[in-house]
Amino acid sequence: MIELPYRLLDVGAARLAVASPIERLHKHLDLVYPHHKPITQPLFADARVALLPGSRFRPRGRQVTLWADGQRPFEPYPYDCALPLFEWGSNYLLSQRLNAYLLLHAGVVARNDRALILPAAPGAGKTTLSCALHLAGWRFLSDEFGVIDMETGELLPMVRPAPLKNRSIDVIGGRPGAVLGPVFPKTRKGDVAHFVPDRESFLARHQRAQPVLVVFPRFQAGAASQCAPVPRAQAAMRIGLNSFNYQALGPLGLEAVVALARRTVAYELVYGDLDDAIAHIEVLFERAP
Amino acid sequence: MSPDHPSDIALLLRGLQEPLDIDEIRWERLLRIARASGLHARLAEANLDKATMTDVVRRHLLSSARIASYRAQSVRAELFHLAPLVTRDFPVIVLKGGAYLLQRRRVATGRFVSDVDLLVPRKHLRAMEERLRAGGWQAEKLTPYDERYYRDWSHETPPMRQPGHSLEVDLHHALTPVTGSLAFDPARLFERSEPIPGTPFRALCPQDQVLHACLHCFHDGELDLRVREVVDIDGLLRTFADHPDFWRDLVARAHELGLQRPLWYGLYFAQAWLDCPVPPATREALSAPSALSRMAMDAFVPMAMFPSDPDSPPPLSVRFARLLMRTRYHLLRMPLHLLLPHLARKALIRLRARLAQKKEAPDDGAP
Repeated sequence: MIELPYRLLDVGAARLAVASPIERLHKHLDLVYPHHKPITQPLFADARVALLPGSRFRPRGRQVTLWADGQRPFEPYPYDCALPLFEWGSNYLLSQRLNAYLLLHAGVVARNDRALILPAAPGAGKTTLSCALHLAGWRFLSDEFGVIDMETGELLPMVRPAPLKNRSIDVIGGRPGAVLGPVFPKTRKGDVAHFVPDRESFLARHQRAQPVLVVFPRFQAGAASQCAPVPRAQAAMRIGLNSFNYQALGPLGLEAVVALARRTVAYELVYGDLDDAIAHIEVLFERAP
Repeated sequence: MSPDHPSDIALLLRGLQEPLDIDEIRWERLLRIARASGLHARLAEANLDKATMTDVVRRHLLSSARIASYRAQSVRAELFHLAPLVTRDFPVIVLKGGAYLLQRRRVATGRFVSDVDLLVPRKHLRAMEERLRAGGWQAEKLTPYDERYYRDWSHETPPMRQPGHSLEVDLHHALTPVTGSLAFDPARLFERSEPIPGTPFRALCPQDQVLHACLHCFHDGELDLRVREVVDIDGLLRTFADHPDFWRDLVARAHELGLQRPLWYGLYFAQAWLDCPVPPATREALSAPSALSRMAMDAFVPMAMFPSDPDSPPPLSVRFARLLMRTRYHLLRMPLHLLLPHLARKALIRLRARLAQKKEAPDDGAP
């Protein structure tokens, strides 16, 4: 077998390595990781994967498989969808391996080094909101992972392309300054296109941020924005619920979410209009201690 | 296969026992093959506080150790929920990982446990199943064929689970399939079982624990990536090694239950791979497999059990070895006149399911 070279991607809190003979995947990676310079020396990677094409003669269309450590942890994707498979799969692997940190299921953006955390279940609109805030001038840390160093309580960026789904593609793509990768139609999650965070956020990917504000967002079509404070104890529990590994960390996880709730103020925000939500958040952020 | 792969395996086996002094790149390869074989938390156990390493390596080891202790905690919690179901009318033995945990055996540290295995006397199997059901555990829905397979030919009932719990409970009435060539009367296991202090459960006696680990490793299922079970055998043997008469009793017990062969393999590979201090007299007291079986096992067991080169899909030779070992398992488990119709039927069912699934989900197979 021919040895494929690995392409290293340093996204901040983690380093990824990906190898593939699929040229289109590399073109797509160039598009959604435009600021990354090639890393030539061999370095430790937190997740190292290969995306290998399946048989050309499969009657129902060629597929692509993600291999990690000699195993196939996931079902194959259609051949054209190598990028979504890499993004989704490597995120999943990281979520299993980064238990040295508290991992929140949250979007994270910051002004200077003061961070806003947006914890939410899938479908609540955290990716869309994180991208919109980024386009409104906030630093992008992540749309998916709130990586928290439990010793200092600081947030580590994980600057990766943000997968926008279905209507969000046009909503965010239509905003000035938005850079999106190719659209992958009809994946299991519907149409997907990756939003590319800007160069400043990429360059700041090793710069930690201090959490000051937590907003639990919930998109509701047509709703007028409604914002309510969340008491600290409740916020701690809701942060825990929106975490990948709160349970697995046991007492450490409990301490970490309590510490996070103590040093931040928390609100719940139901919104129907993105710009109105951003305006609300700016006010909350300004008022946050 | 990359040229330094065999030395990666040697390094992994060494790293389970002593702290390693290697660079980050080497650590990454090691972590990858350790993960593939479920040994990463054991690697953490032996290295985390002892070896010098970079922060990123430490974080990965810490991550594995945390998940293993979380899983261990889940097993303890499940056993806590199960304890009220154990009454004085018949004994309930906790097998394998669950027992190691409750008995605070060293071998439990860094070991990933995925389910709770209980052994009850066959005539009380229904009663125990009823109790579990009344307590809220539910069996997954099986086809009548699978149901019959479990009841008539297997040594366990279909797995049961409490809704919302992550662990399955497997109820056994024997350690070997009733159709297999190694079948023996499980009543003898109960005779020598021991209470687990502070719990209503019992555990197998040390010799039977070792024998069960060997049986499970070499005669119960495929051998793919099972090096961790040899690590368990080694750990158990080391735990008991200093007890007077342990080795003599072990051999005697293997003869009594007809388990010389699995024990021979267990001792052989634990010694070969992990330097397990087996007294020479012990293995000599067991009848060795034929030269041919030994050659075949020497060639294929490592290929099947060790993780292959993490940078590529398993090569043909490894896949062949694993297939061969799977065939061996099926032959050990059932006579051919039962096995062939069984496998044919399973293949047909799988094919049918695949065709049906294709019609339902024309999209992609995204997870």
